[in-house]
Amino acid sequence: MTVPLISATEVVERAPCGLLAAGPDGMIVRINATMCGWLGMAPEELIGKKKLPELFTVGARVFYQTHCLPMLQVQGSVAEIQVDVPHRDGTRIPMLMNIVRQAGAGHCHDEVAFFITKERRSYERELVQARKTAEAALDARRDAESKLIELNAALSQADRRKDEFLATLAHELRNPLAPIRNVIELLKLQLPATEQATRPLAVLERQVGHLRHLVDDLLEISRITMGQVALRKQRVALAGAMQAAFDDTGPLAVAAGHRLHLALPDAAVTLDADPTRLMQVILNLLNNAVKYTPPGGDIWLDGRFEDGQAVVTVRDTGIGMPQQSLATIFHMFSQLTPALERSQGGLGIGLALVRGLVELHGGTISAASDGIGKGSLFEVRLPAASGMAPAADVPAVADAPVTQRRILVVDDNVDVTETMTMLLEAVGHHTAYAHNGAQALLQAAAYQPHIVILDIGLPDQNGYDVARQLRQRPEGAAIFLVAATGWGQDADREQARMAGFDLHMTKPIDFGKLQEAIAALP
Amino acid sequence: MSVKTRNNVHVHGEGSTTLVLAHGFGSNQNMWHYMLPLFAERYRVVTFDLVGSGGSDAGAYDRTRYATLHGYAGDLLDVLDACCDSPCIYIGHSVSSMIGMLAAIAQPARFTAQVMVGPSPCYLNDGAYVGGFARADIDELLDAMAGNYLGWSSNMAPTLMGVVNGPALGRELDQAFSHSDPAIARHFAEVTFLSDHRADLQHCTTPALILQSTQDPVVPVAVGDYLHAHLPGSTLEVIENVGHYPHMSAPHDTAARIAAFLQRQPGLS
Repeated sequence: MTVPLISATEVVERAPCGLLAAGPDGMIVRINATMCGWLGMAPEELIGKKKLPELFTVGARVFYQTHCLPMLQVQGSVAEIQVDVPHRDGTRIPMLMNIVRQAGAGHCHDEVAFFITKERRSYERELVQARKTAEAALDARRDAESKLIELNAALSQADRRKDEFLATLAHELRNPLAPIRNVIELLKLQLPATEQATRPLAVLERQVGHLRHLVDDLLEISRITMGQVALRKQRVALAGAMQAAFDDTGPLAVAAGHRLHLALPDAAVTLDADPTRLMQVILNLLNNAVKYTPPGGDIWLDGRFEDGQAVVTVRDTGIGMPQQSLATIFHMFSQLTPALERSQGGLGIGLALVRGLVELHGGTISAASDGIGKGSLFEVRLPAASGMAPAADVPAVADAPVTQRRILVVDDNVDVTETMTMLLEAVGHHTAYAHNGAQALLQAAAYQPHIVILDIGLPDQNGYDVARQLRQRPEGAAIFLVAATGWGQDADREQARMAGFDLHMTKPIDFGKLQEAIAALP
Repeated sequence: MSVKTRNNVHVHGEGSTTLVLAHGFGSNQNMWHYMLPLFAERYRVVTFDLVGSGGSDAGAYDRTRYATLHGYAGDLLDVLDACCDSPCIYIGHSVSSMIGMLAAIAQPARFTAQVMVGPSPCYLNDGAYVGGFARADIDELLDAMAGNYLGWSSNMAPTLMGVVNGPALGRELDQAFSHSDPAIARHFAEVTFLSDHRADLQHCTTPALILQSTQDPVVPVAVGDYLHAHLPGSTLEVIENVGHYPHMSAPHDTAARIAAFLQRQPGLS
């Protein structure tokens, strides 16, 4: 077989690649047959009529302009540039393009070679597509993550609003309790001591007391959640706190027919704790035991020192808990359904509160039960203090005869002033009242009270301002000033002290404590 | 990270007046190669790379910051803070014209004059406005970029054969390009070609020279006219040139027009 004689021109014209030459402005000056065939155009339609970039699609043209031309100018060549070249019929043909700039004295032109890369391109497109898909997936994940973060923030905010709402709710529920309690105290003084009178009154007192506990718990837990509780820590003997809680629960337990057993730790077991809160913890656990133990049960309150910790356990023979509830029992609103069915009610915040208080003290709490009907065991562990317990810190209440005082009661709630004044008069005092700050100042001047019980949230000015003004007057210096606030926060106490108050009481005012304070006055 | 490292800032020549040169889409500061000697004779010249381009710190590329041209305008002001004690003359190519304009609107006191080489406030056609591109064209460009960036270094590696300006610059360019992150390049293309700063034009008070090529495949002549009509106090110069890079393909003409414009600015010699 012989190889036919082929001219160089024929090789160029029929080469298996597109070839063209373009002037410095891109105008096509030569083009081979292969390229013309790929374009579906005759040489005379192209030479001197079309510029190189005009062969490309718009996107490829911009890419060529922005990326290739500068390179070409600086380097004199570019290689393997992907461009789409449309055939006359509109079909786009993917091609690779190499360009070499031929520059000599006074002339310059570009020589361009094209190769069709359909196979390679489709493969590359798949790669690009895969990359796009991966990027889109990544973007979607980023979006999802940022949405989660947003959602989380929204949830936190909703949670904060809930806490604020609960605090406000508790606060508002507390207000009407004040006059109700006052009326109960009043009735106790006025009604004859017959069973007919005292029994319904005892029910009323117990129920109001129960209501107040619920509201106080609610207020306390929402404040713990909002981080607003500051402990007033002092050295406390564990045995003392347990004894006090035991004594407090006694009547309730007896009423339910339970036997209450107490095993006190050594008197030397002390801890640094807020005595009120420590008492609240033990009381809550005991109340729970009383509540969830069928009549005639046994309840044990034990205290001991173990591994540097003060340990308090409350055990009962009550309804117990299923194993799966033990983990969630300390969460807010996690009332056990069976308890609800037993119409014991409750908000399901008692144990959450206990846990909150224990944790504030740096302690832990756990629950155990062998199952439904098999009793429960709650164990509180608090860091024990080293050192001796202080002297007894509960002042004894003396039953001294009442010294008659002039008392001005200031509260914008008419029911509160009315019932409080009635109550104070019933125990032998003189009273006057006012419903706002201006009235209070006038009354103080006219009535010359020994004692002023002043609500902080007055309609015209706040109680702190009224107190300050009272203190500046000649008759105000000697007045015993009692602040009544709904919140009972430490900040309130401090503010009350600064404003010149002698005593700060949380509403509803505990009449017994008020009486003690009045009785202690010189 | 210093601004000088982040934006790969270089200072050339000396002079009482500073010229700041900013490259456009798809390139880097080496594109000023031909004009630099012409300017460095008379001015102190600052060149730099946009973040994500050339020898800038790609690690500083933040998709949120650079989702609009304002991110780049902020960078430009950083460069001015770092390199210029007095108001500068700013020369921006392509997308950097708009970046400069945004910076000049934000802090006019930093600029004596601005030169826009092949600028466009909006690449997309919009009603009567001719930007030159339909949305489909832009998508096609992004595709072309994706394809070519797939193996960028091999695609654009300089073939030593036929290098007219010596291998050194070629290598420099190759390095700058092969360092380009395909994802950044694509994002930058998207941000550039979908930007629309027509509404900002009226707020610019810095004297501007618009250099429009007669045949720029990226920016139609109509865009130059539009800019001139809407950019207060602007001068339009049309250069007989094919392509988007008059400062490379017609450096002397371009430099002469810029020099003439600068001479007309009061306070500049």
